[in-house]
Amino acid sequence: MRFFRDYLAPRLVQYVLVIFCGITAVFFIPRLTGQDPVLEIIAQIQAQGASLDPLAVRNLMETLKELYGLKGSLFEQYLTMWRRVFTLDFGPSFFQFPTPVAQLLRIYLPWTIGLFATSTVLSWALGNIIGGIAGYFSGKSWSKILDAVIMVIRPIPHYIFGVVLLILFAYVWPLFPARGLSIGRGMALNLELVLAILRGSFLPALTLVILGGVVWFQQMKLLVQNVKREDFVEYARVGGVKERRVVFRYVLKNAMLPQVTQLALALGQVFSGVLIVEMVFSYPGMGLLLYRGVTRGDYNLVMGITVLSILTIATAVLLLDLLYPLLDPRIRHR
Amino acid sequence: MRKGILGIAVVLLVLLGGLALAQLPGGVPREETLIVDQLTGRVGTPSNFNLWAGWRWQDRGLQQLVCEPLWTVDYATGEIIPGLAAEMPIYSEDFTKMTIKLRQGVSWSDGVPFTADDVVYTIDLHVKTPGLLYHGPMAEFVDKVYKTDDYTVVVELKKPNSRFHSHFLDRWGCLRIMPKHVFEKVEDPVAFEFNPPVGCGPYVLKDYDPAGFWTLWERRGDWEKTPTGMLYGEPKPKYVLFQAFETEEAKILAQLRHELDMAQYAPEGLRVVLEKSNTARAWRKDWPWVVNIDPCITGIMFNNMVEPYNIKDVRWALVLAINMVEYMATAFDFMAPVSPIHLPPVPAYVEAFFNPLEEWLKNFELDLGNGEKFKPYDPEIPAKLAQAAKERGYPVPEDPKAIREIFGMGWWKYAPEVAEKLLKKHGFTKGADGKWYLPNGSPWKMTIVTDTNPAHHHYRNAMAAAEQWRKFGIDATVNATEAFNSLHLMGEFEVGTMWPAAEPWGVGVDLSRTFDVWHSSLLTPIGQAVTLGPGGAARWSDPRLDELLKKMETTNPFTEVEATRLLGLEALKVVVEEMPTIPTYGYCGAVAWDEYYWTNYPGAENPYSQPYQHWPNFKYMLPFLKRVKE
Repeated sequence: MRFFRDYLAPRLVQYVLVIFCGITAVFFIPRLTGQDPVLEIIAQIQAQGASLDPLAVRNLMETLKELYGLKGSLFEQYLTMWRRVFTLDFGPSFFQFPTPVAQLLRIYLPWTIGLFATSTVLSWALGNIIGGIAGYFSGKSWSKILDAVIMVIRPIPHYIFGVVLLILFAYVWPLFPARGLSIGRGMALNLELVLAILRGSFLPALTLVILGGVVWFQQMKLLVQNVKREDFVEYARVGGVKERRVVFRYVLKNAMLPQVTQLALALGQVFSGVLIVEMVFSYPGMGLLLYRGVTRGDYNLVMGITVLSILTIATAVLLLDLLYPLLDPRIRHR
Repeated sequence: MRKGILGIAVVLLVLLGGLALAQLPGGVPREETLIVDQLTGRVGTPSNFNLWAGWRWQDRGLQQLVCEPLWTVDYATGEIIPGLAAEMPIYSEDFTKMTIKLRQGVSWSDGVPFTADDVVYTIDLHVKTPGLLYHGPMAEFVDKVYKTDDYTVVVELKKPNSRFHSHFLDRWGCLRIMPKHVFEKVEDPVAFEFNPPVGCGPYVLKDYDPAGFWTLWERRGDWEKTPTGMLYGEPKPKYVLFQAFETEEAKILAQLRHELDMAQYAPEGLRVVLEKSNTARAWRKDWPWVVNIDPCITGIMFNNMVEPYNIKDVRWALVLAINMVEYMATAFDFMAPVSPIHLPPVPAYVEAFFNPLEEWLKNFELDLGNGEKFKPYDPEIPAKLAQAAKERGYPVPEDPKAIREIFGMGWWKYAPEVAEKLLKKHGFTKGADGKWYLPNGSPWKMTIVTDTNPAHHHYRNAMAAAEQWRKFGIDATVNATEAFNSLHLMGEFEVGTMWPAAEPWGVGVDLSRTFDVWHSSLLTPIGQAVTLGPGGAARWSDPRLDELLKKMETTNPFTEVEATRLLGLEALKVVVEEMPTIPTYGYCGAVAWDEYYWTNYPGAENPYSQPYQHWPNFKYMLPFLKRVKE
């Protein structure tokens, strides 16, 4: 009961509040940008000088408002939005009308999860293991050299790093396509398809693993350098515990705790994707989808993606809070 | 452990080796495929080809390879090409009836013959169905539509309209004819995805990326039964792939690797491609490379409902405060032709309007007050631009004709002292600090609203104009915003850089398309969206223009050509006098063509067709292409 009152209840209240405020903000912010999704479509149709007469355009604007669900007062639209959130039906995308937002999410999410989740977990694992070992042996020269190399890589923006990889591996040594994935609608699970996906995903994944990995590396290295100076490590070493065991069981395990939290938060970002990397490599992910939604005033699409993002991150944080007592005996004790 | 690492390395190498082989989807041979860049980017509705019901990224090949309209505009040759129609439309004397003669022997891509029934069905369905894009004009004008035989359609109109055919005239969009046998089986023609699309064009859908990055088309076996085949012969590429790129860099790399044949860039991208590739060429083989016959004029738009831009003299003062040589250096590095009138310098218009108007322009006077007059036109601008470009190190030709082709016919004088007089006439004052003050005494601050894309001519015009007007003493700033379109259409701006005039047809002498948007009946208050973006957003009208538009309505552009041209000339003069928007230079497209697999593109030396892959007439270019290696 005390656990519920002191630990669980405040976190549940916080969870509900975060979701409510986040979703309300997402409803209002796009409407403050001055962009009108109906006019964006009209401008797109007219952009190349397509012929539509004024009457046709007037009719079209009315029809689109009706179809987009933009008729009625702001409050009515706000209530409709909550109905949509509870049913997870965000209506049609305006810019990609009549495709429903849910369908777009179904198409793009697997690609983003495939690339982003894999590369995040991979960069997290590699960065933490290598960073942990380098932190423990920070006095060794190989560790210092590695640290210097990573210091150089870390500030490189994703765009520059991606383009450099593209120039190297799609132009100088043309192992990968500059055009992105070549997967048609006749998709079947066969070797050719797997190879095509690997081929199209390799460079974006490499960019993410390296640029993500160096961040984890530096964080972990610092954490380990602190933990290894703790008394219990010293006692273990003095007590004759083997060095390998000291590194993995005493130092890395303890330094990992904050990194686990970070991993959960990083995975929550999956819905916003990695826009720049997707752009450089023409990769069909959520980042591009969200970017298009924002630039075209596509409220429904922005809403769909951000609501999922808010729900996922808030739930991940809640679950972590609930799981933490299992991972960390100090919290369990309190 | 070591064996394990070695094993992984071997697997990776094998994978990469295998991966390097797969180039195009579905094992399509590269040498038989033309790969082109998709202008409007990744398709947002990849499985939906129903372009009658909304925006469907029609330049993914749908309008170029599948759809065959009744007529198509070609601004490079100055022709209207009859596709499904056999000839130009025939109007009754009072413009209440339009007869369309159709081409015989055409068949849809599924083998069904094309007949008058398809045309009647399309118009009829549009009259009845509000969700279709062209429902508005069809419901407003069409009284009855019927066939008199299998290849003749008559449309009876509710009220006279001498331009009714223009709804079927493809200029990057029009009401295209639907296959009746497909749509009549469909319950809801608006929700219908039209997948795979059936058309009278020479290609059919082969495959597409479910994420919308590419669409692949295959030449029809019976291409000779399409208007393209009948008019120009066999389209040479067996496959055409439309590919969307998210960044200019990826596009450049693809073209340098011969993975992309036709692409459109920012001028900087074009330069890189031309520099790095031995096989790439631009529209013009030499400097300034770019396509400068585009039927589109760029410039500056005033909101004529906002003070002080509602005053003609203020607008003219701002024109005279521009040093066009400096402006073009900033805006486009001297590569585009300037235009003093609200028309792009396409070949047909140079002959019909630019040349005949030059004498009038030279004699045109502004009233500075107190009986003082000023002739603002400067025919020497092209020579000055040529000199400045030469000083920048560009290989500028000496031939005056070539100079005019590259730099345009002339523009307005740089006359800040005259601009000053025009402003002072209306109570503006200039402070000791060199800054201008509005008649109410507050500093003159101006925000120029523009697009966020620095490569776009909108953005380039905004930067150049702000620089010029700051030098003149106005506190001008640029607001590049994603809400650019919405702000213009709603009138929530004072100065902007949306197209200064609606695009004309680009052929013939009918300018109604440019001026229609300025008819007083379409004038829209601020806060309510204008229905025609380019030009209309200026929120300006003039009774003289209304009068001329009324006369245009009763003039047949096909049979009364000279009368139509003269009406256009008069309308141009009214707009120049009032200067509701400032035309600066003709839009230029920076296209690069790779001649590694394909050649004989329609360059400046042989402009047999308009040059863009995104225009509907792309299909008429394909029979002229040649394979480099047979």
